[in-house]
Amino acid sequence: MEERIKQALINIVGETNYTDNLIDLVSYSYDGSQHRHRPFCAVWPETADHVSGVLKLANTEKIAVIPRGAGTGLSGMAVPVRGGIVLDLCRMNRILKISIEDRLAVVEPGVVYADLEKALAPHGFFFPPDPASGKVSTLGGNVATNAGGLKGAKYGTTRDYVLSLQVVLPDGRIMRTGSKAMKSVSGYDLTRLFVGSEGTLGVVTEITLKINPKPSASSTSLATFDKLDDAGRAVSRIMISGIVPSALEILGRHTLSAINQNTDLNLPEVDAMLLAETDGYTQEEADFQMRRIIDVFRNNHPRQVQLAKNDREAGDLWLARKSAYGVLARIKSHFVLEDVTVPMANIAELLKGIEAIGERYNLQIATFGHAGDGNLHPQILYDGYDSEEVKRVEAACRDLFELAIALEGTLTGEHGIGLSKAQYMTLEHDPVAMDVMRSIKKIFDPHDILNPGKMGLDTQDE
Amino acid sequence: MEAKYDFVKRYRDQILKCSKCGFCQAVCPVFGLTLRPALNARGKMLILKEVMDGQIALDDTLIETLFQCTTCANCLKNCPSDVNVPEIIRQVRKDMVGIGSCHPAFRGMQQVLQSHSNIYAEDEPEDFGRERNKKARSVYFIGCVGSHREAESTLATLRLLDRLKVDYTLIDEVCCSGVLEDVGFQTNERLARKNIELVLATGSETIITGCPYCFRTFTQNQQYAAFKENGIDVLHISQFLKRFDIEVKTDRRVTYHDPCDLGRHCGIYQEPRDTIQKIASNFVEMPRNRENALCCGAGGGVRGAFAKNSIAMARRRIQEAVDTGAEVLLTECNSCVHNLTNARLRKQHIGIYTTTAFINLLMDAG
Amino acid sequence: MEIEGYNMPEDLYYEGNHFWVRDEGDVLVMGMDDFARKLAGEIVYVQLPEEGKMIETGKKFAKMESGKWLGKVFGPVSGELVEVNEALEENPGLINEDCYGKGWMYKIKPRDKSELEKLIHTAEDIQKWLLADIEKYAKEK
Repeated sequence: MEERIKQALINIVGETNYTDNLIDLVSYSYDGSQHRHRPFCAVWPETADHVSGVLKLANTEKIAVIPRGAGTGLSGMAVPVRGGIVLDLCRMNRILKISIEDRLAVVEPGVVYADLEKALAPHGFFFPPDPASGKVSTLGGNVATNAGGLKGAKYGTTRDYVLSLQVVLPDGRIMRTGSKAMKSVSGYDLTRLFVGSEGTLGVVTEITLKINPKPSASSTSLATFDKLDDAGRAVSRIMISGIVPSALEILGRHTLSAINQNTDLNLPEVDAMLLAETDGYTQEEADFQMRRIIDVFRNNHPRQVQLAKNDREAGDLWLARKSAYGVLARIKSHFVLEDVTVPMANIAELLKGIEAIGERYNLQIATFGHAGDGNLHPQILYDGYDSEEVKRVEAACRDLFELAIALEGTLTGEHGIGLSKAQYMTLEHDPVAMDVMRSIKKIFDPHDILNPGKMGLDTQDE
Repeated sequence: MEAKYDFVKRYRDQILKCSKCGFCQAVCPVFGLTLRPALNARGKMLILKEVMDGQIALDDTLIETLFQCTTCANCLKNCPSDVNVPEIIRQVRKDMVGIGSCHPAFRGMQQVLQSHSNIYAEDEPEDFGRERNKKARSVYFIGCVGSHREAESTLATLRLLDRLKVDYTLIDEVCCSGVLEDVGFQTNERLARKNIELVLATGSETIITGCPYCFRTFTQNQQYAAFKENGIDVLHISQFLKRFDIEVKTDRRVTYHDPCDLGRHCGIYQEPRDTIQKIASNFVEMPRNRENALCCGAGGGVRGAFAKNSIAMARRRIQEAVDTGAEVLLTECNSCVHNLTNARLRKQHIGIYTTTAFINLLMDAG
Repeated sequence: MEIEGYNMPEDLYYEGNHFWVRDEGDVLVMGMDDFARKLAGEIVYVQLPEEGKMIETGKKFAKMESGKWLGKVFGPVSGELVEVNEALEENPGLINEDCYGKGWMYKIKPRDKSELEKLIHTAEDIQKWLLADIEKYAKEK
């Protein structure tokens, strides 16, 4: 990092908020994906003015700036592929306001999701999107990727809850979007543009979130199916049954056998396991909805149906789903976790297609995910030191994305494009759409300094 | 590529298993304080991966992160891939010492123990007014922190043992030196032999220790295998105390902090609670307890090498205790008591004691 | 005045364990001197007892720590502890930054100010005492 620029950054954020220490540069080279690249330095802004100053400087000097939260993203959106300045927002971690009457919370981007939940719990409120990384991921990161989670089927994703943002643009100007009012259609919906933009259009420095009263009662059940088609039909029937489960998860055959091989959970080796949860403000409400689900299970040739009688039993039923990721992560040296999403009617087809891809390339692919909104997580396990196997994984991924698109789905339901899926954007988006996206990027960031090289919007070669 | 360092030979696969999920950030006490990913378990594994790949060198630049880890094992307990970070760190520190790269405070510790009998280089043993080295059924082993930094707490414990009519003796103990294994060196053989000699000379069948670290060292380090070989039981005082009917009671609100060395490293969570719940009906748990207890920040040599951060970490744990509304914070480790007491602010009116010291206090009042 | 690189203001009174005392009329201010703070290294903890505590000459009334050292603080005179420097609670390093100014530690209301005369005071005495201690600690190293 040029001394002049280093000094300018220190003047903006203060000496203790700047680092070009090797150990920091190394850890900022990575996120939760397989990508890596060293930045020149990193800063820890504490205010929107700090962020503004840094961006203004970077924009003038044409240096890349890469905003970062907890760095747990799975697609490489926080990896500084053009070097530059990592903007670690974790020190902006105050919960500024919780207003129950207005049903909103105002937070800085570095607030960890779990800390917001902890602060809302005493009020009987919650922030519904429930990303699996919630114990560590930050709300800024959740906004950048439009994080989803287990409760997506009933409660939607992050974007459904963002009322307003304070954003710093790539040239350093600070603006607000949206409104504290529960609904507004005043001017273009800039809030929605920024949510899910993966830190490429602006840096979010304050988030106003809608919060919901937390249903206090729930009911949990589990069903196993010898035939995948039966499970798929059960999912469709549940979704048209007139009730909405708060969670509907699926585990595929390979996932179940992997869990069995590595734990003593002793799960049945079937084509699919479905885990359903309903919630309500009264136990009657939760139970009523669950009865509908049990009926659907029973009418679709299950091998077994289990209904939890209390919280402890519910916890037991959830164990398989919650241990899936960890168990699979330990089996081989590397893995790729995708999140292709298809319309619910096509879930069974997607599962079958994934199975076929595994066979075609002789790869171990275990799938689990949110059947409730069609968002599946195929986890491809492989030996990353076997270059031949790596090539097969790359080919398998391409087939996977082509399959999802063919089934009228999308490349990613919640993890984002980042670097990992950048090359596949044209599979999903037509040339006009790509052109429009590039134009939007250019309007916000004419010098391409804010998180450049991501989302396949570049015309530059990596 | 031939493995240059022992940590690569022994732990290469584990380091590679780190999937970079970052979940360890939720529980690491150093990360929780500093919010610097380089100091978190994941950051350390990434740095070691780059050392293994030959991208960076194992040298002094890495001291700030590789020696700033309390080895609390909270990361390990939460790792979906079971990466044993504390063990890896312990080995890396040994490799670094091997190439002459070591934190000066740790080298200092090693040197002090070459020529002194305790880690503080205190030449005058604390006098607890009790005979040492006599014949008795048990030896009570105090530990360095209890002898030289928390003498009051130790005195209270000894008074309790007297009240309970335990047949014990103190010995002219020397540092168990287990800490050296954590900071890049080895248990000091000379000191270990001395302790073993003194214990055997008393004819005792049991060693009771107030220090979870000494407990761990005596039960897990091969330099102390002689205890087992001679049929000598090693107990932590919380295990010993469980056997007694303690009559005193308090209705003050009490909470308990699991020391990392007793809890995650030795699996002793319930025994202290059994005793505490006998005497305190108004007992509350902190949200982070047992396997998920937040480290006080003193362990792994961090209090010696990174004292400011160490105390700042303790301050975070105290706040958790204060948030429960507790008036009393109990724990089983004098090192935790020391760090937590240093961190306590004047406006925080919470008493911090080991369980034994607290029981003695209640008996004094009663 | 400077003695072998150590700053020891001669208008202060010094207690033998290297704490200085400044006469501010009704109240005496106490802190750690330059020699001791350099020897101790970075101070990480200072015990701040409750106001109103009675101080006895020569008796320990507080403790402090650096990374490697535990120090006892003894009463320079008898009296009452009327104020402590609360800034030291979260920033004990102030003693290293500015041991005679921002790093002051305690304020004592003396029972009998004439006790000050028993402390080390004149430029000559301070010099003699410090040089002896410099030698003593150099040997111990």
